[in-house]
Amino acid sequence: MGRIKHETKNEDVGFQIAPMIDVVFVIMLFFMVKVGARQTETEIKSKLPGSAETSTSVEGLEPLEESIMIDQDGVISHNDEILEAGSVKDGDLVQLKDRMKRLAEQGRADKTPVIVTVSTQPDTKYSRVVNVLNSLQYAGITNMTFTVSEDL
Amino acid sequence: MAGGGGGGEGEPEFQIAPMIDVLLTLLIFFMSITTAQVEAIDKDIKLPIAPDAKERKKDPNQMIVNVKWSSKDQAATFMLDGAKFSDPQELTNAMEAKKAGRPDPSILIRGDKELQAKEIATVMNSAAQAGIDNIAFSTFNQ
Repeated sequence: MGRIKHETKNEDVGFQIAPMIDVVFVIMLFFMVKVGARQTETEIKSKLPGSAETSTSVEGLEPLEESIMIDQDGVISHNDEILEAGSVKDGDLVQLKDRMKRLAEQGRADKTPVIVTVSTQPDTKYSRVVNVLNSLQYAGITNMTFTVSEDL
Repeated sequence: MAGGGGGGEGEPEFQIAPMIDVLLTLLIFFMSITTAQVEAIDKDIKLPIAPDAKERKKDPNQMIVNVKWSSKDQAATFMLDGAKFSDPQELTNAMEAKKAGRPDPSILIRGDKELQAKEIATVMNSAAQAGIDNIAFSTFNQ
């Protein structure tokens, strides 16, 4: 015991590896956990109305044209049939997602391009529109246009 | 000195130095991918959430239009690459000016989630008048 005391008094305080590893581990764990909650910017590509049709008709196939409407209360209808009530929570558009997925599969089977037009009223919330566009992305439908008009 | 005596023939020891190298490399890796890859154009805009959208790729031909919503004034402001516009016609003119020299111009709309569809339609109309067909909507993954 006495000898150890004597040594530590005379030596310089050395660099301690063990606590450093502890600290590095903790910092690393922190960043590893944060990776899961990372927010990144994504994008949904679209074409202006009128340009999408011309780009597909070149192939000589009659495209499958579908329309989705969103009214100012957020009620979503597909080909005049109400699919989702305005109260359905954001992102939970199960029926719409399901319907779009089937449409996309049908389009792939028939080898016809699917064009979806999303029409909204001027006062519809933009976040609701993005929810619908997200459902189309989920189904793999990339050919879509978005219009805003007073009379739906 | 005394500790070094074990040397070559003894059992392999746990090596601290390479372990620290590995740890630091891992640490730097996680630090670099954690830093938010958010376009530092306007932090005030709360983008809508679309979990199924594709990750954004940087495109030099893309013009970025920020549409900010002010809840105090209940009004939207449009910004094209940092410059503010209140009149849609001015926005169109600016888009036309920027379009020149870009082979495949496109517009990325970074709209606040509180906006109404008509404000987005204003930007789309301006894009149409400027002759730009490709539109993308910016969102967050979560």
